[in-house]
Amino acid sequence: MALPNQQTVDYPSFKLVIVGDGGTGKTTFVKRHLTGEFEKKYEPTIGVEVHPLDFFTNCGKIRFYCWDTAGQEKFGGLRDGYYIHGQCAIIMFDVTARLTYKNVPTWHRDLCRVCENIPIVLCGNKVDVKNRQVKAKQVTFHRKKNLQYYEISAKSNYNFEKPFLYLARKLAGNTDIHFVESPALAPPEVHIDLAAQQIHEAELAQAANQPLPDDDDDTFE
Amino acid sequence: MADLEKAILILFDESGAVDSELKLKAKEYCDKIKEEPAICRLCIEKLCFSNLVQIQFWCLQTLHDVIRVGYSAISPDERYLIRKSVFSIACFEGLDDHNVRILEGPAFIKNKLAQILVTLIYSEYPLIWWSLFVDFLPHLSKGAAVIDMFCRVLNALDVELISLDYPRTPEEMTVGGRVKDEMRQHCVSQIVRAWYDIISLYRNSDEVLCSSVLESMKRYVSWIDIGLIVNDAFIPLLFELVLVDRLSEPLRCAAAGCLLAVVSKRMDHQTKLSLLQNLRINRVFGLVNKDGDSELISSLAQLLTGYAVEVLECFKRLNSEDAKSISMELLDEVLPSVFYVMQHCELDSTFSIVQFLSCYVATMKSLSPLREKQLLHVGQILEVIRSQIRYNPIYRESLDKLDKTGQEEEDRMVEFRKDLFVLLRTVGRVAPNVTHLFIRNSLASAAESPRERNVEEVEAALSLLYAFGESLSDEAMRTGSGLLSELVPQLLSTTFPCHSNRLVALVYLETITRYLKFVQENAEYIPMVLNAFLDERGMHHPSIYVSRRASYLFMRVVKLLKVKLVPYIEKILQSLQDTVARFTSLNCTSKELTGSEDGSHIFEAIGILIGMEDVPPAKQADYLSSLLTPLCHQVEALLINAKVLTPEETPVKVASIQQIIIAINSLSKGFSERLVTTSRPAIGIMFKQTLDVLLQVLIAFPKIDPLRSKVTSFLHRMVETLGASVFPYLPKALEQLLAESEPKEMVGLLVLLNQLICKFSTLVHSILDEVFPAIAGRILSVIPRDVFPSGPGTNNEEIRELQELQRTFYTFLHVIATHDLSSVFLSPKSREYLHPIMQLLLFTACKHKDITVRKACVQIFIRLIKDWCGRPQTEEMLPGFQSFIIENFATHCCLYSVLEKSFEFRDANTIALFGEIVLAQKVMYEKFGDDFLVHVVSKGLPPAHCPQDMAEQYCQKLQGCDIKALKSFYQSFIENLRVHQNGSLVFR
Repeated sequence: MALPNQQTVDYPSFKLVIVGDGGTGKTTFVKRHLTGEFEKKYEPTIGVEVHPLDFFTNCGKIRFYCWDTAGQEKFGGLRDGYYIHGQCAIIMFDVTARLTYKNVPTWHRDLCRVCENIPIVLCGNKVDVKNRQVKAKQVTFHRKKNLQYYEISAKSNYNFEKPFLYLARKLAGNTDIHFVESPALAPPEVHIDLAAQQIHEAELAQAANQPLPDDDDDTFE
Repeated sequence: MADLEKAILILFDESGAVDSELKLKAKEYCDKIKEEPAICRLCIEKLCFSNLVQIQFWCLQTLHDVIRVGYSAISPDERYLIRKSVFSIACFEGLDDHNVRILEGPAFIKNKLAQILVTLIYSEYPLIWWSLFVDFLPHLSKGAAVIDMFCRVLNALDVELISLDYPRTPEEMTVGGRVKDEMRQHCVSQIVRAWYDIISLYRNSDEVLCSSVLESMKRYVSWIDIGLIVNDAFIPLLFELVLVDRLSEPLRCAAAGCLLAVVSKRMDHQTKLSLLQNLRINRVFGLVNKDGDSELISSLAQLLTGYAVEVLECFKRLNSEDAKSISMELLDEVLPSVFYVMQHCELDSTFSIVQFLSCYVATMKSLSPLREKQLLHVGQILEVIRSQIRYNPIYRESLDKLDKTGQEEEDRMVEFRKDLFVLLRTVGRVAPNVTHLFIRNSLASAAESPRERNVEEVEAALSLLYAFGESLSDEAMRTGSGLLSELVPQLLSTTFPCHSNRLVALVYLETITRYLKFVQENAEYIPMVLNAFLDERGMHHPSIYVSRRASYLFMRVVKLLKVKLVPYIEKILQSLQDTVARFTSLNCTSKELTGSEDGSHIFEAIGILIGMEDVPPAKQADYLSSLLTPLCHQVEALLINAKVLTPEETPVKVASIQQIIIAINSLSKGFSERLVTTSRPAIGIMFKQTLDVLLQVLIAFPKIDPLRSKVTSFLHRMVETLGASVFPYLPKALEQLLAESEPKEMVGLLVLLNQLICKFSTLVHSILDEVFPAIAGRILSVIPRDVFPSGPGTNNEEIRELQELQRTFYTFLHVIATHDLSSVFLSPKSREYLHPIMQLLLFTACKHKDITVRKACVQIFIRLIKDWCGRPQTEEMLPGFQSFIIENFATHCCLYSVLEKSFEFRDANTIALFGEIVLAQKVMYEKFGDDFLVHVVSKGLPPAHCPQDMAEQYCQKLQGCDIKALKSFYQSFIENLRVHQNGSLVFR
């Protein structure tokens, strides 16, 4: 399952396929894992990057070979050919772009055509962005298809481990598996700190009395 | 041809043995083959003779692409060949020993084959290939492999073309509709017959196959004639499959799934009701009572919930007495099983059950008074809610310490409880008495529950009371309706044995805060409330999470009870002494204090308490100075030797100072401007002294961002508290804040100035006049004069900070202009910035991507024109300004920028901007008269290809007096001009 010059490993490893519309943050997500980022191999001819991501569980180390088909979604490459032998998957959408959620069923269908009955996690990315278009309540697809859903923010590392932990538990058939040690992650680029955010905003609101007065009364005539 | 096979194998290699150069070559080779005219023939040939799945997959993928994208280019002969070959493969036709048996290969190859068949159906069914399904059926007798393939085709047809769960183009919708119609007419009944026969034949020998058949049948129930399924043959068969113990779980689940599809089928409600009645669903009730977390229980839960939902719907929609009573009976029959599964089984479908129950309870609203049976159901629903919201004792320690597991479990529970609490409140509205009683009993029995589940019971019971409170009216809260007047005092006097638990203590405090309105009306309970917050249940709780939350909630208590607390101030301050000291002691590090709980709440609470007018003046001064004096001394001590600190010492000192400023800041919020400046000036003097001390911080620690922003916050507060008496402090403070400030800090400074200008208008003229040149100079040197760079790499923090600064700067200019301070722009020291600022405003008014910013700039121009221009030329305050306005603003902003296609009249913000632009023209005409008109007509309009008559009309309308008429005229004028110029002028 390794790509050129990638060491095969003597602990359990799984092929993980990451799909979703372009721009939903698939690549950013896998790149948060620093050792994986260091070892990744780009295969330009088949248009896929494979990142080996290691995690440390209470039952030993496991590796996910994450197949990130970034930028190759529609044309070129092997398309659903990449899914062959996939053992688990992540479907990613962007909570700030409604269309990416609308396309989730199609990704799911294309994935399941090639990989029947594999564990799949649905991830709503970019929850750090204030202006979200897909609210948590509106995400219902996973219920219909029995997928696990997580809200994540690749940029802030929020819930980074959750999808992998879920998949590890499913693949091992053991719900007691947990990660004993955090993988090295790239430092968060943004912080999700709602409490601090609220205080900050309250302070500003109190200070910034009148921004741009808007006294138009007959705007809609 | 062996070359192609090699190339494909290389392309699909995952072993790592192939280098990328070779892979690239292989890809190019394969891509070239794809272009060949005989590609379909080639694929089919390979498909029939290659055993390698990679080859098979590539051929199927390529074939699919060709049919999907280039169907019209395929010749009829070739189409026939494809149809014939694919069909033969799918049903094992005409095989000899040489042929490869695709149907015995892996699932993904078969699915790919099914996908191709569906693509053919898309183009050929029914016109060219009407007999596809009918042709398939005879082959099913060949056995499991063909049946399995048939199911895959039906599934693929559903997901690729028919199911509404996927986004579809209108064309796909049309084709899907056509296929369904055709199938209904010609083959559905035969297909259903085949399903029935297969299940009957294989149910004992091949359960997996039967499950697949049922799984694909489930997809079709919603759109085929329901009579084909709901009959004396199929329904008994389905129930039998569900009920027979020795059958495999997947098969039983699949049968239950089909029954659910039948139950959920859309139809007229009367028909639906008799369907539901005749189903005799009670046959499966016995199954759910066998405990377990099996898949089957989950399927049955879904079936029963789905059934209940449909019955309820019939009850709501049908009006006949008869139908009502039948559906109510059916509901009464099914509900106990629904309650049972919810309480005893771990389910994925809790969500849909809760939704149903909410719907059921909502329906009861129209039924009051409730019958005995319904009251019983309400009680059971409350019981279900309580059992669902209870934490599992295995997490007790994690939740108490709030470690990672505890945090996860708490997050999960918070999310999970949301819907259940909505349900609780609905129940509370329908049956308030039952709910009151239930909560009271829950609390009582929780308090006495055995230790091993004591914490969880108490927490759940309190959470019920807390969540219930959210829906209570003000009136009900104040009077303590029902049992509340008994419950609240009882609660206030309670200390639970498990009160040391974090969750229990937290929900306890939240709950008494929520029911505070009752205490407000019944002041005799105030001492009890104070005790709850001040003793070890609240601010002195051993868990820091509790004590911090208690500080915040206590602030809310103080805000609500205010004057009623005056008699207790002494007592409160005494018990808070240690807490207060903890937040400001010199050795408190910032690590300990993260997030929002920085002590500001406790100081704010104290501030409100001692800041009230009802506190006698002498007392008030005593209280305040006993707090302020030590804090100021601490700051002074920290400032000594600030310049010679080691790098290790500085952060600690900075953090301490920050902490103290936050405390003083919060404290001051309780003191009104009137009290401080008018009625008790002694208090004002104390704050001024404090301000003096804190401004020293800027000098001792220059350029430390967090300190600057804290001092700025304090200045904001003092502007509000001290009013105009803050002026003497400002010049020095502003000078310090301005020194070497970064864009982000500059924004903070502008916000402060905006506050001053808005509050004091022309009173701050001299202060503003003093600082304006430095500010303008600094900002103009850092922000771009035109647009921000865009494209990759420009969306970084630095650019965002500059954009923020730019935006705040426009607000600043706007505030100056609209508060009669425009003369500041003209003062000699500021004169050099006038030209660049005007250019910037003009550019922004025409081009800025944010319409509201453009509007603000236009408003600034309007003010300046009014302020600086008078009718007689001789009085012009700023020579050249009038011609600048006429030659640039009037044409570029008021005309050309509006002509651009991107100026969208359907956008509300744009309409507002447009209104200002029209007003600007009116004002220009009033001030400049014919000078303005002549220029527009002779210089402005011709490049826009404006016909003479339109130009004349424009002048006429402008001279009229009605602004609304002018507005609508100008809009149609612009729209006309856009047509006239017809692309001959390059306006975006």
